[in-house]
Amino acid sequence: MILEDYININAEKYPQKVAIICNKENITYSQLLDKVLSRVSRFTEEGISKGDIVPLVSSRSIEYLVDYFAIHKIGAVAVPLEEGIPDELFNCITDRLSKYTVPDGTADILFTTGTTGKSKGVMISHKAIIADAENLIDSQLFCHDTVFIINGPLNHVGCLTKVFPLILLGATIYLIPGMKNAEDFFSALNYPSNKMATFLVPANIRILLQFSGDRLAEYADKIDFIETGAAPMSQSDMLKLCDILPNSRLYNTYASTETGIITTYNYNDGRCISGCLGKQMKHSKIIITENGTIACQGDTLMSGYVGDEEMTASILRNNTIFTSDIGELDSEGMLHLKGRKDDVINVGGFKVAPTEVEDVALSLPEVKDCICISASHPIMGNVLKLLVVLNEGCELDKKRIALYIKGKLEPYKVPMMYEAVEVIQRTFNGKINRKFYK
Amino acid sequence: MKQKIISLLEDALPLVDLNSDYLYSELDSLGVTTILMLLSEEYGIQLNSNDATPKNLKSIDSLVALVESKLAEK
Repeated sequence: MILEDYININAEKYPQKVAIICNKENITYSQLLDKVLSRVSRFTEEGISKGDIVPLVSSRSIEYLVDYFAIHKIGAVAVPLEEGIPDELFNCITDRLSKYTVPDGTADILFTTGTTGKSKGVMISHKAIIADAENLIDSQLFCHDTVFIINGPLNHVGCLTKVFPLILLGATIYLIPGMKNAEDFFSALNYPSNKMATFLVPANIRILLQFSGDRLAEYADKIDFIETGAAPMSQSDMLKLCDILPNSRLYNTYASTETGIITTYNYNDGRCISGCLGKQMKHSKIIITENGTIACQGDTLMSGYVGDEEMTASILRNNTIFTSDIGELDSEGMLHLKGRKDDVINVGGFKVAPTEVEDVALSLPEVKDCICISASHPIMGNVLKLLVVLNEGCELDKKRIALYIKGKLEPYKVPMMYEAVEVIQRTFNGKINRKFYK
Repeated sequence: MKQKIISLLEDALPLVDLNSDYLYSELDSLGVTTILMLLSEEYGIQLNSNDATPKNLKSIDSLVALVESKLAEK
């Protein structure tokens, strides 16, 4: 069984049940199946067939999800790419992928910086998709009546994986453009259901608490659960949210594109333990290695990095993924995250290798040297900051540098802050001394 | 006040074209929040998510009007 088989099952069992809501448009499971089948015909006519690798730019829309499901139905592999990806990068990825074949059973290739520090295509199998869905259903109690608001990008593990349990159960996906206009979010919460749920990155929770806390409290009886993840959340925000939503389940989850969804913790349990990510889910196993890093096993793991066996073997061996996250298991078997062992910077759930940003910035004539570091922002938490040594006679033009990087890399890799400095600290052998800037 | 707001926002949102008459469409959720935060801190006014409308964030001039109306309410 693949996820899309459940669209057929649900169209038969619950034909009139609302499957997806977007822009005031509703489609039922019966309509969703019709749309997917007609898209399958169109794609087939266009020459897409089993085993093909199909890049598509993601968007929070019904049509995007129909494309995604139709690609799977054909037996092809979906490659959802970032909204706003520069054309040059889209074409480069498409060219690169056309040279590869993927193992049977591959459903998706998701691009991430992930645990290796370089942009890599992570292969996700249909089996992993079902295992992620069942993990979430079992441990976060997704149910047939759940109406889940998706506000984030559907090419990223945080939001894409929520589609899986919802489709499997015949539940409702509610797509909104983002959290820019809080009205979109609150209008979605007005949907007539008391099983509303959503995924919010910590920065979005901070925004809601700061500007709309009282309003959120009015929905306390409607919100069944909120999941967060992707980045550390401050305990004061966790406590505030518990206070505002005393009856909702509030989860903090350990997941990554490579590992799938592994553990979760309901911090609205009266203890509200900061940094705790809970127990392993039914299809997952956590091991802490001798050097203190987290290793994961189970059906949710990626199949490997597309076209890069060497990079795959560097983190996936003996059906185990060895991450760079440092963690501990307590006496209850709950996972506690303690930081990262490498230089990758986590920006609102997106992992960024600083070298990738630096390499682009260094190709500007005015930039003599630079380092991309993590800086603290009152709302966003971690953001990227670029420290720049300018060539003589040049002035720091933040906007020019930012726009240049935006033209070469995904939007989340563009630093938010810029500062001119005299020198970048280096180690005795000439490498950037990243520890100095931590 | 307009120049003050421009210089405040230029530092915080280097990617955004502040002279645009379609400022709102250039912003993401972080940009909107950053503007609300900076203006409430700088002018000691209370702004919340209800104020973050496309109309209020259409341009720098509409931001000036928003701040002035909030100051008048104080």
